[in-house]
Amino acid sequence: MLRIRCPYCQEARSEEEFSHAGEAHIPRPANPDASSDAQWGEYLHLRRNPRGPHREMWVHTAGCRRYFNVLRDTVNYEILATYAMGERPADEPEEGAL
Amino acid sequence: MSDGVGVACRESRVGAFLNLRGDAADPGFRNVAASVTGVELPVEPCTWRRHAGHAAAYWLGPDEWLLAMQNGVGVDLESRLRDVLDPRCSVVDVSGAHVQVELSGEDAGKVLQKSSPYDFDPRNFGVGRCVQTVFAKATALVAAREADAFDIVFRRSYADYLLRWLEDAAAEYNASDGRSP
Ligand SMILES: [Zn+2]
Repeated sequence: MLRIRCPYCQEARSEEEFSHAGEAHIPRPANPDASSDAQWGEYLHLRRNPRGPHREMWVHTAGCRRYFNVLRDTVNYEILATYAMGERPADEPEEGAL
Repeated sequence: MSDGVGVACRESRVGAFLNLRGDAADPGFRNVAASVTGVELPVEPCTWRRHAGHAAAYWLGPDEWLLAMQNGVGVDLESRLRDVLDPRCSVVDVSGAHVQVELSGEDAGKVLQKSSPYDFDPRNFGVGRCVQTVFAKATALVAAREADAFDIVFRRSYADYLLRWLEDAAAEYNASDGRSP
């Protein structure tokens, strides 16, 4: 059972209160009409699925119902950081580590 | 409000609820809301403030509050808020969706502790705090009114299930359900 700190409630809460919501920081093509099928398909479907630190979204379903970002290690499930929408993690690892 | 030993559970006289959304960083919004409702909106996460009488304002999120008051007051307050709030704010009467019960007594905290993964220990959950969390197999908003008296707000569709849950959870503490002497 994970303990996840919600950046809005500012408290560590039980994993039961949260739902996973997929990879974070995926930019939507600025002009969908002008993007190719390949670009749009990549935006919709392709994900990094890394082994190690992964930036992902969670939603505090049973709490404040806000989406936020989590930096989680997919190997040992350690949560390295949680941060509000529109922010970047304070202790962001080197790009090569991701 | 404590009944001393054991746990008492009864439906609250609070039955009108408004969901209010707006920018907590905007002092204009907070001032207008406070002047109409008579209470400062709590901006500290997971806290609540009491109105006059039984009513209260609960923090639900960084831009969302639940205003709770006695039956009959909500409709008037909703229209008065609509008259003065910026159109980008939202005020919705959610009275039909919610039920509030009062759980009180020496062992009321223990009933909370076995109903939820949240840490309801009094050192963590003192008077003035409120949390939305998992409660039994449903969800609820729990607020600490006094050291041994709590207000629980849950969805009406879960009311039957959660009242039965509370009755069962409180049984070992000689619970009275408020209907029997
Ligand atoms: Zn939260």
